[in-house]
Amino acid sequence: MDEKRARFDAEVLPHLDAAYRFAQWLVRSPADADDVLQEAILRAFRGFDGLRGSDVKSWLFAIVRNCHLSAVAQRERRQSVPLPNEHDERDGHAMISSAPEPETETMRRDDERTLGRLMAALPEEQREVLILREIEELGYREIAAVTNVPIGTVMSRLARARAQLKHRWQKEFDGEPQAVR
Amino acid sequence: MSPRLCAETSTRLPVYFDGELDALAAAELERHLAGCAECRAGLEELRELRAALRRELKFRPTPPELKTRISAALDRESADAHGADAQTAGGPGAGRVLPITPRPTARGARPFWAGAFAGVGAAALAASLALFLLVPAGVDPLLDDLVNAHVRSLMPAHLIDVESTDRHTVKPWFAGHVDVSPVVADFTDQGYKLIGGRADYFAHQRAAAVIYQHGAHIINVFSWSQEGKRLPSDTTRNGYHLAFWRLGNLDYCAVSDTGWDELLALEKLLKTE
Repeated sequence: MDEKRARFDAEVLPHLDAAYRFAQWLVRSPADADDVLQEAILRAFRGFDGLRGSDVKSWLFAIVRNCHLSAVAQRERRQSVPLPNEHDERDGHAMISSAPEPETETMRRDDERTLGRLMAALPEEQREVLILREIEELGYREIAAVTNVPIGTVMSRLARARAQLKHRWQKEFDGEPQAVR
Repeated sequence: MSPRLCAETSTRLPVYFDGELDALAAAELERHLAGCAECRAGLEELRELRAALRRELKFRPTPPELKTRISAALDRESADAHGADAQTAGGPGAGRVLPITPRPTARGARPFWAGAFAGVGAAALAASLALFLLVPAGVDPLLDDLVNAHVRSLMPAHLIDVESTDRHTVKPWFAGHVDVSPVVADFTDQGYKLIGGRADYFAHQRAAAVIYQHGAHIINVFSWSQEGKRLPSDTTRNGYHLAFWRLGNLDYCAVSDTGWDELLALEKLLKTE
């Protein structure tokens, strides 16, 4: 085994499981998660020479996220179905790629309890900050690096995500939106 | 009094909860918390949400076949890269012994970003550059020893020498296997489950590692006898946080990819044990 490969195995592969956890919450089907992870690891390996003394985990997560985004873009180009309701986008926070595909999503999350289902229904930009903060325990600065936005944006997305999840959670259990307490 | 009047609940409280307020502002907010029921309730909600997510979100473990597939793809890739490298950069230095520690000026002829352009998207490149600037390369070999020991421990069958959730089993085991007698305690109720102990070798002695599980993360708490050297300050290397403290005649270091607040909370627990 050559030197770069050995160094890559020692420094990057320990984060493989975490990267896979992250990928699962970005993509829709298990097969897609597998492909995204494999592509990300290969890209990481090609770019590995560029990495010196920086944060390997955030770096790998950023690559996973990019692989996911390019896969999505590719799928959309292939389908190229025009959006029927373009005026919806004028709404300040349009829920980009938020609605999961009904069948695969239901099948995948069938065995999960409510919170998992509510998470899956969140807009992607909210879902990813929640996973990075609450599950992967990255700091704001690291999340900013992974999602390629300023720290202020990370903070506001995180706040929106927590508020949304709480709101949907309460709706689920109270049957209706809670009145202002 | 009508609720939702406290501005802190939506501004600094979440930042405090995430462990991102500086010490001064955190102390200020803690004083504020003592007198503000709304913020206390808000903090409780944040805690509940985090606990619920950690408890209920399901993750599939990485399938072994996928790992095999990736490994094979890497083999092909490194075979290709090997050939290309030899042509463009005058040989990759294949004859050298493998150093796991990063070499700051290795392959100096090659600009550090050259490889990144080969395959990584622009955003990832930007991210890696930003991080590169944020995290200075360390010089203390102890840091590398600690990170390497942690990474090694995560490889299959390396994690635990004595598997037990009982401090009264783990602690005596150390007596025969390492040179130190560290603090061992189980904090399952606080979210840090003791899962075992291991002997490691660094700082020129047989050091102890006490292993905790926190959610999806493994935390190694290393301990070794002081050698009169200065204790390194808390730092982050290769995505792992290292928190140092000194207790009795031992130096301790907790290493993990958990968040800082989670790691420091364990340090606090161990210090007061």
